[in-house]
Amino acid sequence: MSVSQSSVVLKNLTKSFGAVDVIKGVDLEIAPGEFCVFVGPSGCGKSTLLRLISGLEEATSGTIEIAGRDVTHAEPSERGIAMVFQSYALYPHLTVRENIGFGLSLAKRPKAEIAARVEAAAAVLQLGPYLDRKPKALSGGQRQRVAIGRAMVRDPNVFLLDEPLSNLDAALRAQMRIELTDLHKKLGATMIYVTHDQVEAMTMADKIVVLNAGQIEQVGSPMELYNAPVSPFVAGFIGSPKMNLVPNVMGCATYGIRPEHLDLSTSAGQWQGTIRHVERLGAEVILYLQTEAMGELVLRLPGQSAPPPGSIAYATPQPGRAFQF
Amino acid sequence: MTRRQRNSGLIAMAVAFVIFILPFAFTFLMAVKTKKEAALMLFSWPTEWHFWDNFTEVIQARNYMLLLAYFNSTVITVAAVSGLIVMGAMVGYVLQRRPSGWNKVIYAGVLMGLIVPPAVVPTIWVLQGLGLFKSLTGMVLIQIAYGLAFSVLLYRSFIATIPRDLDEAAIIDGAKPWAIFFKVILPLLKPVTVTLITVQSIAIFNDFTNPLYYLPGKENVTVQLTLFNFQSQFQSQFNLLFMNILLVTIPPLIVFVFFNRQIVAGMTAGAVKG
Amino acid sequence: MTRRRSPYPYWFVLPAAVVFTVLFLVPTLASLWFSLTRWDLFTASFIGLDNYRQFFKEPFLVQGLVNTVIYAALTSVSKSVLGLLLAVLLTSGILWQSFLRAVIFFPVLVSTIGVGITFTALMHPTRGAINIGLAAIGIHGPAWLSNPELALYSVAFIDLWKGIGLATLIYIAGLAAISPDYYEAARIDGATRVQQFWRVTVPLVRPATVTVVTLSLIGGLRSFDIIWATTRGGPGFASDVLASVIYKQYQAGFYGLATAGNVILFALIALIILPLTWWFNKREIDL
Repeated sequence: MSVSQSSVVLKNLTKSFGAVDVIKGVDLEIAPGEFCVFVGPSGCGKSTLLRLISGLEEATSGTIEIAGRDVTHAEPSERGIAMVFQSYALYPHLTVRENIGFGLSLAKRPKAEIAARVEAAAAVLQLGPYLDRKPKALSGGQRQRVAIGRAMVRDPNVFLLDEPLSNLDAALRAQMRIELTDLHKKLGATMIYVTHDQVEAMTMADKIVVLNAGQIEQVGSPMELYNAPVSPFVAGFIGSPKMNLVPNVMGCATYGIRPEHLDLSTSAGQWQGTIRHVERLGAEVILYLQTEAMGELVLRLPGQSAPPPGSIAYATPQPGRAFQF
Repeated sequence: MTRRQRNSGLIAMAVAFVIFILPFAFTFLMAVKTKKEAALMLFSWPTEWHFWDNFTEVIQARNYMLLLAYFNSTVITVAAVSGLIVMGAMVGYVLQRRPSGWNKVIYAGVLMGLIVPPAVVPTIWVLQGLGLFKSLTGMVLIQIAYGLAFSVLLYRSFIATIPRDLDEAAIIDGAKPWAIFFKVILPLLKPVTVTLITVQSIAIFNDFTNPLYYLPGKENVTVQLTLFNFQSQFQSQFNLLFMNILLVTIPPLIVFVFFNRQIVAGMTAGAVKG
Repeated sequence: MTRRRSPYPYWFVLPAAVVFTVLFLVPTLASLWFSLTRWDLFTASFIGLDNYRQFFKEPFLVQGLVNTVIYAALTSVSKSVLGLLLAVLLTSGILWQSFLRAVIFFPVLVSTIGVGITFTALMHPTRGAINIGLAAIGIHGPAWLSNPELALYSVAFIDLWKGIGLATLIYIAGLAAISPDYYEAARIDGATRVQQFWRVTVPLVRPATVTVVTLSLIGGLRSFDIIWATTRGGPGFASDVLASVIYKQYQAGFYGLATAGNVILFALIALIILPLTWWFNKREIDL
């Protein structure tokens, strides 16, 4: 295999903590320059998988290749990776400049080189004015950027980001999503990004890896996952509000239909029901319909008008939009 | 402030003055009296002030023994406290960060160190075997051995508050174990280190029993032992004995004035969690 | 598969472990053997339990053992009771509160020997300031340190004087950890100040009580320098405790006997502290 084919290759990777198998055989290839998101509910093993790639945890079996080199047993610092932690993990006693340059100074790089690389990273991240401050004196977003800067100066093959936005408030998170996507384009580096937030996954990823109970459930682009989920788990995880999943109807194990793919009528339709609850969000309405045949269905309707709760209504799936698992 | 709070304060102050302040005043007054007047041992205002005479006489006594004692005590205190800081922090760090069967062994050692009285004569036997009996080095190592348990406990609980992410960030940055510890963890332990320095240095500086057993000999005299030695020599010179007490009390007083907060933090470390 | 090295290597523990083992554990274990010998530091001849037998036969050694228990019980009970009361007083926002705290705490930090010498002078039967002060209000003060009936208690008082500041400080920290909500809830329930003390303060300050009692018991059982600086165990053996007995036997060259005393002291502390700790922990679960 040539070096340029894949940036990260995982082969039959497993990890057990004592008797508990956390990662149960993962095979995965990530292309150079790809923005790959590991997503899944808490406890699915996504953070453990990232820590295996980083080398902070050692694999129980299987191999990890980074840039064509087997690094399964290599030290974290020798893997050509850099990591951004959920808590940022900035050294509180060091200035921003020292934080970013810490790895380089440990590697005994010349002072001039360290200074130049720190300045360069700071310029990209607009941290110039803050270089001599301590992390305590920075805002959440600035700390986030310092953590990224510390990763950047290592000039890694792969950036590993562990839920980096989860400590920010909603507005800042939306802004940082865009900044990170821009940064990814600018640097052209491979990034592996762990999150439990499917919106982050959908908006940022080139490739999404959905994990469930220590195994890969599905790998694909955001739209592939949205349009062709292979299992009820993926179907339910991607998209908001989540897909209606009804077991043992329509002649299949699980029948799925997304809220936005159900039409509502007050006169006629496939499933009759009573409107239980209506949530108006301005641009759209989320409507909860209690039906006889399908249980509770969630519908997502454009606009602001909807029949009042308690009234009878009918839901009809749009043709070709339903999934049968 | 209510009237009740003011009155209780006034009463408490009066009682504290008699019980706690007068004994110190007594020490000071004795230290400035003439030999004859001090021999009366009365709690009285000195008729003549002999502060400087007594001061120089105590310093010069027995061929400047007090200065030698100050030197020895300082060397022991500084060396032992430095050792306690580094060794205690290293043990507390591994104990907190790396759960394993060994931790039970370490905890058993810590518990023993806290409650078991040292077996003095066998310790002398060990020190003699190592050629460290009657040596400052031996005394320093003894103080480290006896102070470790407290240091380890204090560091362990403080290290628990330092997120492990920092260690991992340093690992990814390429830090070796010693670099993680000395460049990342140890600097972050500063508050508890300051506390330990103050508490342990006062304890070691004030220690009487251990130098009495392990550091006999005139050339090894420590500050507390000067009092003991002078007690017999100065039987008829109470003014000098009390001047000596005064001089020995000054270093802890200085530490107390500047590091009150840290001392309180160290001494009450076990109060809340038990 | 090769295991990579842990970032928390065991050699970090090594320097401390070596010092602690060689200078603390080895002598402690060796004491078990040497206490069974007649020993001059160079040769030890096994004599079985003779040292222990002698220890429990000689009345003055037995008295040392009894005195140790009395002394430790007295100092630790008085420190915890007075410490709690003082802590309550010194957290109630009285005038000069922080200065008073400092005044009470300062004796903890000064030289024990210095304190001992000072009090020896203050407690002088005829010329000491204490008895002169008592005479002024018409009380004939006793010979505090030279009366055999009284000496041990006088030394315990000096110990209390020197150590009460630490107990108070620990209780102040313990009181600070009690949420004011409890007192407000108790006030709404109509509890008086005395009821608040017994029903809220005493139970909730328990961790501090455990610390104070344990620390002062251990300290009291091991106490040596304050006794040595005041009475040297005298008059006669009236205020001798185990630690001073050990020192006297050591000075006299009875190393085996001194070491047996050490083992007895060790056993006494274990016998008192371990059940107490177990009992404190058990009560904790009940709460």
